[in-house]
Amino acid sequence: MIVADAGNVLVWVVWVVAAFACISSGIAVVSFSNPFFSALSLIGNLASLAVLYLLLSAEFVAAAQVLVYAGAVMVMFLFVIAYLGGQADAPWAGGPSWQALGAVAASSALLVEVIVVIGLKTGGRLSHAAPTDYFFGSPSTIGRLFLTDHLLAFEITSIVLLVAAVGGVILGSHSRAQPPLAEAER
Amino acid sequence: MNGPTVVWYLCVAAFLFFTGALGVLIRRSPLIVLLSLELMLNGSNLALIAFARFHGRGDGQIFALTVMAVAASEVVVGLGLIVAMARRNLDLDVDKLRTLRG
Amino acid sequence: MIVAAWICLFAPLGAALAITLAGQRLGRRGAGFLATTGVGVSFVAAVVSFVGLLGDSPDDRSHPSTLWRWLTAGPYHFDLRILVDPLSIMMMLIVAGVGCLIVGYSIGYMDGDDEERRYFAYMALFVFSMLLLVQGGNLLMLLAGWGLVGLSSYLLIGFWHERPSAIAAAKKAFVMNAIGDATMALALFLVIQRTGSLDFEKVFSQAGSFGPWAANLIALGLLGGAVAKSAQLPLQTWLPDAMEGPTPVSALIHAATMVTAGVYLIVRTSPLFEAAPHVQELAAGLGAATILLAGLIALVQTDIKRVIAYSTMSQIGYMFLAAGLGAYANAMFHLMTHAFFKALLFMAAGIVIHALTGEQDLRKMGGLRPLMPLTFWAFLIGSLALAGMPPFSGFFSKDSILAAALANGGWYGYLLWAAGMVGTFLTGLYAFRMLFMAFWGEPSAFVREHLHHLEGGLVGWTLAVPVGVLAVLAAVGGFLQFAGIWTPVSNWLDPVAPSLVDASGMQEAVSSIVAVLLGLAGIGVAWWIYGARRASAPRPLVLLERKFWFDEVYDALFYRPAVLLSQGLLNGVERPLVFGSVGELAGSVRDLGLGARRLQTGLVRTYALAIAASLAVVTVVFVVVR
Repeated sequence: MIVADAGNVLVWVVWVVAAFACISSGIAVVSFSNPFFSALSLIGNLASLAVLYLLLSAEFVAAAQVLVYAGAVMVMFLFVIAYLGGQADAPWAGGPSWQALGAVAASSALLVEVIVVIGLKTGGRLSHAAPTDYFFGSPSTIGRLFLTDHLLAFEITSIVLLVAAVGGVILGSHSRAQPPLAEAER
Repeated sequence: MNGPTVVWYLCVAAFLFFTGALGVLIRRSPLIVLLSLELMLNGSNLALIAFARFHGRGDGQIFALTVMAVAASEVVVGLGLIVAMARRNLDLDVDKLRTLRG
Repeated sequence: MIVAAWICLFAPLGAALAITLAGQRLGRRGAGFLATTGVGVSFVAAVVSFVGLLGDSPDDRSHPSTLWRWLTAGPYHFDLRILVDPLSIMMMLIVAGVGCLIVGYSIGYMDGDDEERRYFAYMALFVFSMLLLVQGGNLLMLLAGWGLVGLSSYLLIGFWHERPSAIAAAKKAFVMNAIGDATMALALFLVIQRTGSLDFEKVFSQAGSFGPWAANLIALGLLGGAVAKSAQLPLQTWLPDAMEGPTPVSALIHAATMVTAGVYLIVRTSPLFEAAPHVQELAAGLGAATILLAGLIALVQTDIKRVIAYSTMSQIGYMFLAAGLGAYANAMFHLMTHAFFKALLFMAAGIVIHALTGEQDLRKMGGLRPLMPLTFWAFLIGSLALAGMPPFSGFFSKDSILAAALANGGWYGYLLWAAGMVGTFLTGLYAFRMLFMAFWGEPSAFVREHLHHLEGGLVGWTLAVPVGVLAVLAAVGGFLQFAGIWTPVSNWLDPVAPSLVDASGMQEAVSSIVAVLLGLAGIGVAWWIYGARRASAPRPLVLLERKFWFDEVYDALFYRPAVLLSQGLLNGVERPLVFGSVGELAGSVRDLGLGARRLQTGLVRTYALAIAASLAVVTVVFVVVR
């Protein structure tokens, strides 16, 4: 399955590094008790994902990932974490509860299943990727697809963004804010 | 295609997805839960891009971009909720927010 | 004539339904008039039928009439059918006639009661039931009427339902009647099994072919029903308690009509009894024993209505005696005269009770004669008729029964004759004891305080007129049949129930003379003790005061074990099994709900875990299946 030659080795090396970074930053997001560190790990995750996208010839998406996700969304996260003061939350403290054990069991079971499916059920069909041309992941291809095949998705996405923006404004406005609860009511 | 086949990317994507799921199920702070949710979305994005490459068509990438946009909107609303909760001095602990208890 | 018979049957039912449906819209007195009119129409229709029947030749006087097929069960079918023949016409006239008088009397007696309408509806229902019983053209209609009169009796005894004693008496009457109903039903089952039908003609024509075993059982079952309904030994204990009902109820149901239904039954099904001669003799024996038992107990009763009740029991004993000997016409004749004078006695007693504002204890009464002269005369006529003094009606009917006993002959006939004679002495004694205690001498202290004269106007008239009519009937009603010489009643009933015994003139004369002498002796003793107060009454025997311990014995034999059994079943079966299972079911459903409730933790994480876990399972299933 692994065809190792000169051109391949570089790709493989890059892939291994990026994959490793991706996985470990993912684990780090879930494990850190300080939300600030979790957010930073997620940024690392997004970056390594961008590298993986580049390996998959999705250049525009990689750029969008870094600009939008890491640049805007995560910054928003970090602003909120800074505003809230980042209360610590120790997930593994106090011994594993039945909830945690159940969660681990469920997710690992699912993971194993998915890998089994991918490995066994597909046979060799996923081994040969289709050939692509130079313009495969370029902005022009994306743009053309958005404006022809997937015009509806494009328009609806813009409405969703509008709704989210309005919602964010409403949720954050002071006039609608309810008075803080007294200590006894919490 | 050089390097790893699509299957490898799919494994990474699966791993990311289920790590995020684990985080959603285990963590108590809603902020971390949102972050784990983002992780899950990214995992599915990776799978989409991988399959786009496999089929040689750009539809998967379009899908991934749409997912990114929706994820951004969802984060806006979620963070707005968390900020509103913090303003009301509610405990940021999903275990404590159980008014819907039967 | 047939149409008149149907009108006779359904007019009281129509009145009852009208009163029930009209409810509050009908005035209380209006209900009384409606009921009286209904029964009055019934009487007129009965007279019309009677006249029509008179026009037929004596051999052709049986007219059945069917409305529709009522029940079909496999090869058996039973119709809604009445039979107009001499026997049923006689009963119809008695029931409707005396019933009309008594319902009219009730307008005055029950005046002012809150629930008058219910009373009159029940009375009309009763008259309908009794007419159904006597007009029934097959045994099933008879049984239907039988049950309905039991129901009406229960409703009317317990009319004043705030009194626990009334409710208990009603239950007692109903349960004892139910025993009779059960034995009757068993007999009818046997009849159906043997003949496949319940129509009178079919059953009676095959009565000889039942075989001794079945014939005896059938007759015994019917006798059981008759004994229960007519309060004879051994099922007699309900009748004295039934006096808890209003006095007109006692007059109509427990003197004139319902309790005589047993006699009617025996006379009607006489072929069945004749096929089982030993059972018929048993009937006569039970009648004789009841005559003596009831007569003795009546001697020590202090409640005026109870004396009359035991007197009824005793007189029906005479009728059973006659029917048991086969002297059916005598039994029916005595039934008719008894209806007259017993209803008269009850209604006169009712006037006394009303005047004394509800007091019924004889010891408190005394000296009512100068204060209530007309009532006294009515009472006197009734008592003389009861004691069998000539020329009143009781003389003619009772003595012919005794003559029939003589004519039967054998040691059994003489024994029955002797019992009847002793009964005559007792009758004179207790009847005049009652009369003297209530009416003779100086007015007692109680009377002077509480007597209030009944007002004139409608109430007074409705109380007086029926009493007057019945007094006349009790006085002259006996002239319908005179011992062997002038026998229209026997001739009338001959096609239906031919008499088995025929007393000679000598036997009639002997019986009459001895009976009259004994009756006078009884009256004399009563006068000596209670009238002229020359001697004081002896202390009553405990045996008599306790009514021969029947109530106590039945209580121990039947009631206590039944109560124990039902309590045992309640605690052992009903509580754990029935309540328990229902409770268990409810409890487990509730526990299920509580358990399901624990799923609703309100925690987002739990729900998410649930989703993830089920996703895992579903994926496995999906993968494996595909």
